[in-house]
Amino acid sequence: MIEHDVVIVGAGLAGMRCALEASKELDVAVLTKVYPSRSHSGAAQGGIAAALGNSEPDSWEEHMYDTVKGGDFLNDQDAVEEYVKAAPRIIYELEHMGCVFSRTPEGKIAQRSFGGHSKPRACFSADRTGHAILHALHEQLMKNEKSVKIYNEWYMHSLIVDGDRCNGVVVSNIQTGEVEVIRAKAVVFCTGGYGRVYKITSNAFASTADGVMAAFEVGIPLEDPEFVQFHPSGLFRQGILFSEAARGEGAYLLNDKGERFMENYAPSRMELAPRDIVSRAEQSEIDAGRGVNGEDCINLDLRHLGEARIMERLPQIRQLAIDFLGIDCITDPIPIQPTAHYSMGGIPVDKDCHVILDAENTRMNGFFAAGECACVSVHGGNRLGTNSLLDAVVFGERAGKSVLEYVRGKDFGNVNEGQEKTKVLEKFEDVFQRDGSESYNQIRDEMKEIMMSHCGVFRDEEKLKVCIDTLKGLQERFKKGKVTDKGKLFNTEIYEIMELGNMLSMAEVIAAAALYRQESRGGHSRTDYPKRDDKKFLHHSMVYDSSDGFVIKTKPVVITKFPVTERTY
Amino acid sequence: MATFRIKRFNPEKQPEPYFEEFELDIPDGATLLDCMNEIKWTLDGSLSYRMSCRSAICGSCAVKANGHAILACQRQGEHLLDNDDTITLEPLGNMKPIKDLAVDFTPFWDKINKVKPYLEPKDEPPAKERHQSPEEFLLIDDSSTCIMCGACYSDCNTLEVDDDFLGPAALAKAQRFVGDSRDSKTLQRVQDLSEPGGIWDCTHCGECVERCPKPARPFDRIKEIMTVALEKGVHNNNGARHALSFTNSVKRSGNLNENRIPVESMGFFNIPGLLSLIPIGLRMLLKGKVPPIIHHSIEEVDDVKRIFKELDQ
Amino acid sequence: MKFALFTGCVAKGATRELMLSTTKAAEGLGFEFIEMKSASCCGAGVVSEKSPLLADALNARSFSIAEKQGLDIVTICSTCQGTLKKTEAHLNEDKEYKEKVNDILEEGGHQYNGKTRIKHFANILATEEGMARLKSRIKRPLTGLKVAAFYGCYVLRPSERSDIENPDNPTEMEDIFAALGATPVYYPSRVKCCGFPIVMMNKDASLGMSGNALQDAIENGADVVATGCPLCHLSLDSYQPEIELLQKKNQSIPILHLPQLVALALGYTPTQLGMDSHIVSTLKINQILSGSSSSH
Repeated sequence: MIEHDVVIVGAGLAGMRCALEASKELDVAVLTKVYPSRSHSGAAQGGIAAALGNSEPDSWEEHMYDTVKGGDFLNDQDAVEEYVKAAPRIIYELEHMGCVFSRTPEGKIAQRSFGGHSKPRACFSADRTGHAILHALHEQLMKNEKSVKIYNEWYMHSLIVDGDRCNGVVVSNIQTGEVEVIRAKAVVFCTGGYGRVYKITSNAFASTADGVMAAFEVGIPLEDPEFVQFHPSGLFRQGILFSEAARGEGAYLLNDKGERFMENYAPSRMELAPRDIVSRAEQSEIDAGRGVNGEDCINLDLRHLGEARIMERLPQIRQLAIDFLGIDCITDPIPIQPTAHYSMGGIPVDKDCHVILDAENTRMNGFFAAGECACVSVHGGNRLGTNSLLDAVVFGERAGKSVLEYVRGKDFGNVNEGQEKTKVLEKFEDVFQRDGSESYNQIRDEMKEIMMSHCGVFRDEEKLKVCIDTLKGLQERFKKGKVTDKGKLFNTEIYEIMELGNMLSMAEVIAAAALYRQESRGGHSRTDYPKRDDKKFLHHSMVYDSSDGFVIKTKPVVITKFPVTERTY
Repeated sequence: MATFRIKRFNPEKQPEPYFEEFELDIPDGATLLDCMNEIKWTLDGSLSYRMSCRSAICGSCAVKANGHAILACQRQGEHLLDNDDTITLEPLGNMKPIKDLAVDFTPFWDKINKVKPYLEPKDEPPAKERHQSPEEFLLIDDSSTCIMCGACYSDCNTLEVDDDFLGPAALAKAQRFVGDSRDSKTLQRVQDLSEPGGIWDCTHCGECVERCPKPARPFDRIKEIMTVALEKGVHNNNGARHALSFTNSVKRSGNLNENRIPVESMGFFNIPGLLSLIPIGLRMLLKGKVPPIIHHSIEEVDDVKRIFKELDQ
Repeated sequence: MKFALFTGCVAKGATRELMLSTTKAAEGLGFEFIEMKSASCCGAGVVSEKSPLLADALNARSFSIAEKQGLDIVTICSTCQGTLKKTEAHLNEDKEYKEKVNDILEEGGHQYNGKTRIKHFANILATEEGMARLKSRIKRPLTGLKVAAFYGCYVLRPSERSDIENPDNPTEMEDIFAALGATPVYYPSRVKCCGFPIVMMNKDASLGMSGNALQDAIENGADVVATGCPLCHLSLDSYQPEIELLQKKNQSIPILHLPQLVALALGYTPTQLGMDSHIVSTLKINQILSGSSSSH
C-alpha cells in the first residue's frame, strides 16, 4: 500500500499551490489523470483579479462588493472578505516565483477591465494568464521535486472513509492498469469542474465530475450544483473559450441587425456586465430570432480595436478563431454562443478548505477541497471573470496551510487495502462484462444534448422534469454499454466510460437542484420563476445522495458587509 | 470518404507495431482530433492517444500526421489529406511508444528539468512585484507560449542521432530564464547550456520552428541563448570558437577563410580535435580542394570592416 | 535572364567546382550571371549567433549592391538562400529595424529598398520559363541516371520564408531531374539535415545524419545524389569516407552539385565541371550515361 502524509488529487493551480504549501513540512503526493501542465487551469485566458491599484486606485472593499453583487448575493461574505484581502499578496507571490505578467510602461503588473468589476483589476499575461500561472507553479514543483511526488496519469476512483474520517483514496495507474490504494493522513481534492455534461462547453475532455462524485458517493453533499456559468463567448459550435478579455479591450456584441443589444439588458456596463447577464442577453436575442443569419450565435466584433492592439493583447485567441473557425478577428466579426464554462457549485468547504457535511459546518476529518471543485462559497450564484484563477491559488494555499495544521501529530487511519482494491476491481469487471447493446458515444451525446436544451441558460419546471427523466433513462442504458478495449495497458476507453458514469450522475444532481430552486439568481435562470426570491431561496442548496433519491437541504448564506440589494447593471 | 492509416502498437497483444486503416467521412469543420475521436467512439474503442483541452493549450494531442508532428486539435482533418485521400498517423518521434499513438514522455520531462526551469532571483523579493519593463517582457514572451506538446522534440534531426541532446523544448524553456530580467543566474545558465548536449549541438534543421503549434520558435530561442553565451565570454567550446572564428573571418576579409576556421574552431590546444581534422584535410589536399593559403578578401571589404566597427563587433 | 550571382564563400573555396559548373550551366542556358564580387558572406546563420543585427546589416548591404544594378539575386547555396531570406523578412516586417539597418549602411553608400528578389538556382529553373529554356537546350539527356535530391534545410524551413511550394514534400528538384532526362528517386531523407552545422561540435551526430541520408538514398536505388547546397555537399561528399554506416557495408555514392547535373545535360564534360575533384569518385556517373555499366 502506498503511503503519503498528504495526497492531492488534481495538479492544476489549486492542486499545485496546495502541494507547494504542504510540502514545506510534509511528504506530499500529487495525483493527476493527465500531466500537471495539461491541467485545465491552463486554458484560462483573461486574467487574475486583485485590487493592486496599478491602473486605477482600487480597494479590497470594492473587489468584495463587485464579487458579492456579481454572485447575486449568494456568496458567503466572510469567506469573500478574506479571499479578496489575500489577493494582492497572492499575486505578488506568483510574480516572485517568476510568473510572467504583462507590464505597464512603469514596469508594474498591468491590469485591465473585466466583466462585473468596477475597476480594472485583472492582472494578465497577454491572453494566456492561466497558462502562465500553471507553468510558474509547475516550475516551482520541479524546483522542489524532492518533496513532492507526482503521479502522472493516475486516476482516482474513490475516497476511503471511516466514519467521519478520510483515510485515503483508491486509484489506478492509467498506463499500466494497476489498481492501488494510497493511504494518507489527509486528502485534498482539486479536481476542477464538470462542464463536459453539456454539449457546448469550454471545458477540456478531462472536466468530468470524478472528484465531486467520489465525495458524493461517500455521503458528502454537493453545494449549489444548479449554478453553472455559461460564458457568453464560446466559439460558435465549438464552445472553445474566446476570452472576455476581448470585451475588456473594447469589443462589441452585435445581433443580426448589427445592434449593440446589451444596451437593453445592462446599459451601464454593456458588454462588460457579468457573464450570466450577458449569456442570458445573447440567448434571448437568439431565441427572439435575432441570432446572426438566424443561427444560434451572436457576433463579437473586434475590428475597431485595430491590428496592433489585438496582436499585443489578444494574439492567442485571435489564432484560436483562425484555427478553429477560419476567421480573423482583425478583419471579421467572430460568431460566438453561450458555452458551459464554470461550476460555481461543488464540494462544500469552510473558509479553511475543510470539507463540511452539513449546514453546521461539521467537518469531514482529513478531507479538504480547493479550486473549482469546491464551494466555499466565494462566487455565490455567478462567478466574475478573473476570480477563478484567484480562487484556485488563494484556496490552494489555504488548503495547504490547513493540511499542515491538521496533519501535525496525526497517525494514519485504518484502511483495508484488500477490500478497497476489490471494490474498484469489481467495478472494472462489471464494465467489461456488460452486454454491449448500447453505445456509450450515443449515451454521452444524448446527455449533452438534453442538458444543453433543458438545463441550460434558461430552465423551467417542465423542461427540467423531462431532463431528469431522460437522464435516468440514460443511466439505465449506461449499464449495458459496449467495451472494445479489455486490456490493461493505457486503456483510455475504460476511463472515458468511468467518467461518463460520473457525468450522468452529476447531470442529474444539477437538474434536480435546478428543479428545486424556484427562483432566478446568478447563473440559474427559471423562465417560470424569473425573479430572485430572497424570502424563500436566499440559501445554499445542499444535495445529498440517499437510497430513495436525492435529498436537498439548505445552508444559510453568511452576510456581513453588504446587505442584499437588487442586482442591476 | 477518407482513409486513416494509423500505426497501432499494443505490446500486450504483439511485440511489433502494425498499420491499420479506418474509413471515415470527415465532417464539416472537423479537426484531426475530432476525426480520431470519431474513429475511437464509433469504430474501434481500443485506439489509444492523449487529448484534453482540444483548444491548442494543454499540449496533450501532438501526433505525427503524414510524417510530421502536429497538434491534432489545431488542424482541420480535410487539410491533411494526401493525394490518395489518406492521412497517415503515427506516434511522435524520438520517444518510445507505450500504446498506439501515446508515447513515453519521461526523457522529455527529464530534459526540461535539467535546464533548471525556474526563476533564480538575486535577492529577497520586494514587498510588491519586481519591476519588469514591457520591452523586457517581450524578451520572454515567445518562449512563454510553449505548451510542452513535444512536437519539436519529435521531429528534431539531432535527437534522431543523439539522445544526449537536450532538445528544442528544454532549450527554449531555458531561454525563458536566460532572457528573464529578474533572473540572477544568467552566466551559470549559459555555461551549463554550452556544455555538450546543449545549444551548440543544435543542427539548425529548423524542424522545431516548423512544427511548433505556438509562437515559441525553439530554434530562434536557441540562437538567443548563443548570443548571450558569446556576450558573456563563454568561449571555451567548439561551438563558440566556431562562431567567433567565422565572424572574425568575415570581419577581416568579408568572406570565410576555410583553412583557418576549422583550426580556430577546434582551438589551438585541442589536440584530439585538431588531429580529427587531419583525415579530411588530407583528402581535400589530395583532391586539390584546399582553398589557397593566401586568402583573398571581397572587393570593397573596407565597407564591411566599417560596419563591424560601427556595431562594436 | 540576367541575375546578380551571390556565390557564397564555399563555392569559391572548398567546393570550387560549384562556381565552375555554375558558370558553365549559366552559359549553357543563356543566363547572364553577374558575380557580386563585393558582397560579403551571408553569415550562414553563424554570424547571427554572435550578432543578429550585424548579420542583417551585412546582408542588407548585399541586397543594396544588387538593387543598384537593378537585378534580382540568384543563390547557389541553400544556406545562403535561407539566411538571406531571413534578413529580408526581418527588414520587411519591421519598419523601425529597417531604418536602423539603413542608417548603418548609409555611410558606405548603401540602402535597402526592398526591391531585389532572392531566388535559389533551383527555383529559377523550376519555373515555366526556366523549364522551357532548359528542355530546349539539352544536348545530352541523362537517360538511365537515377538521381536523388538533397535539398538542404535552409532552403526548406521555416516554410513561411521558402520559395519551395511544398517544403514537406517538394518536387522542384525532381522536376528538374526529369526534365534533364534522368529518373528522380524519392526518399524520406531528401528533406532532412546533413548535419554540417555541427560537424565541428558533435562529429558523430553530424556524420550520423549524413550517413542516414546517404543510406536512404542508396537503399532507394539512387546512382547519385544531387544537392543545392555546397555545405551539404561537403558533408555528403567530403566526409563520406568517414561515415561508419557506409564503411561497414562497403558502400559509396557520388554527390553532385545541381549546376553540375544541369551542365552535364547541356553537353559539358565532367572535367569541365570539376567532377574529378570530388572526394567520392564520379566515374560511375559517366559510365551510366555512356551506357557502359548498368545502374543499380
